[in-house]
Amino acid sequence: MSPISNSAPPPASSAWKTPSAPGAPRRPPGKPTFFTLLRVFYRSLFLQAGWNPEGMQNLGFCFAIGPALNAIYLDESPRRRAIERHLEFFNCHPYLAAAILGAAIHQEQAVARGELAPEAPSQLKRALGPPFAALGDGFFWLALRPACALVAALTVPALGLGSILVFLGLYNSVHLSARALLFVSGLRRGPGVIEVVARAQVPTGTGLLKAAAAVMAGALAGHAVLAAALPWRPLHAALVGAGIIVATLLLPRARPLIVLYLALVLGLAVGGGFF
Amino acid sequence: MALAAGVLGGLASIERKGAFQMMFSRPLVLAPLMGLLLGDLTGGLFLGVPLELLFLGGVSLGGAMPENETLLCAALASAVLPAGMATATGADPALCALALVLLAPLALLGRWLERRGEASAVSLVARARVAAAMGDPDPARVQLRGLLFPFFTTGAICALAVFSSPLLAASRLHCHGRALVGLIGSWHAAQALSVAAAVRAIRDPRAVWLAGVAALAVFAAAALIRGIG
Repeated sequence: MSPISNSAPPPASSAWKTPSAPGAPRRPPGKPTFFTLLRVFYRSLFLQAGWNPEGMQNLGFCFAIGPALNAIYLDESPRRRAIERHLEFFNCHPYLAAAILGAAIHQEQAVARGELAPEAPSQLKRALGPPFAALGDGFFWLALRPACALVAALTVPALGLGSILVFLGLYNSVHLSARALLFVSGLRRGPGVIEVVARAQVPTGTGLLKAAAAVMAGALAGHAVLAAALPWRPLHAALVGAGIIVATLLLPRARPLIVLYLALVLGLAVGGGFF
Repeated sequence: MALAAGVLGGLASIERKGAFQMMFSRPLVLAPLMGLLLGDLTGGLFLGVPLELLFLGGVSLGGAMPENETLLCAALASAVLPAGMATATGADPALCALALVLLAPLALLGRWLERRGEASAVSLVARARVAAAMGDPDPARVQLRGLLFPFFTTGAICALAVFSSPLLAASRLHCHGRALVGLIGSWHAAQALSVAAAVRAIRDPRAVWLAGVAALAVFAAAALIRGIG
């Protein structure tokens, strides 16, 4: 059985349900109110503010879950232990971490009721952090952001400054709704949030977005060559086209700033007729 | 003007590091915002689009940290836009190319500063642990101090960029003849590179081929339209 399962029976040696054991509540656990959860969600937007090489997002996670822990644990001792639990190492994609945050609150409530071992939320974080990080990096950083930026870049000639709103609107409509949905799903379903993420078909969406972004980047390249050719400057168009092809071939093999300086120097030399 | 640019640059660096992360710190948005603040909105957009494409593939994956496009963009806009207004040329290709040649290493400096900021945040973890042990109900709020370092460093660099803009304007005014045309060529080369960088930003084996087909389709469509016309 999965170590993060809600229904997993605790090990015989575990101290769960033992009134004097660590994590056992002396007062009945509280329930986070809607406003407390809203505060947690707002704080989750600062997940990476204290990113550090030792615990990575540990400070951010503890900062975000703090109001919920204060609402759940009314006694100081179990609350302090819960806070210390969430100061341990954590790393994930900042957006998908919302799912883990919601699920961790779900589990902390179960821990406070004595239904779950105190280690369960930590196990959940360790189990979900890396796969969710990979999914989030692939979808948001490598597919959605380039696709939205390319839509905006393509619409600049038609929309001008409006293209910035296109970029922000497209990106954040997906970003913010995904964060909110994942947070609520985690709160409601605990570790079952995995099924929600699995049903979202993120890898398929990532592939489609990347293909669309590649097509848009190609259209942008075609537009750049045509723009250089107008009114009737075939040599300019050939130079820009050749520049794009050579840079596309060079970029994976060289550092971007070196290629940038190379391009600037070549442009200066060719443009100024220095050779 | 320097104060305003510093505050906006600082806020953008905070947004990039760990507050909201709604992409306000991307060059496409930040450069026009700087333009709005410094009085040349169109110049900001002119600068922002190629910079965005140039750094589209910069992603922090694993231990790799990309160049800091936010610092470069904020400083570039802070220097170029006032210089453009001073020379009455606006943010033209020659001025943008000249500034890019001079300021591009700021992207590397930004990455170095970012690493320093992250390393110093380790001490915040120790503080939070001590506060938690002493019964503080919200010990991790110290993490917000991690935003101060990028705010002040980026802000200071942007303010310096505004102060250095008269030098940039003077350099631009001294460019004539072949040097001027050469700088315009440099900017076009940088734009061509930015399009190539956008293709490479899509880390997919099909990306280059799909982009090639799309470019050919654009040429075909243009030829067709020209033929019909």
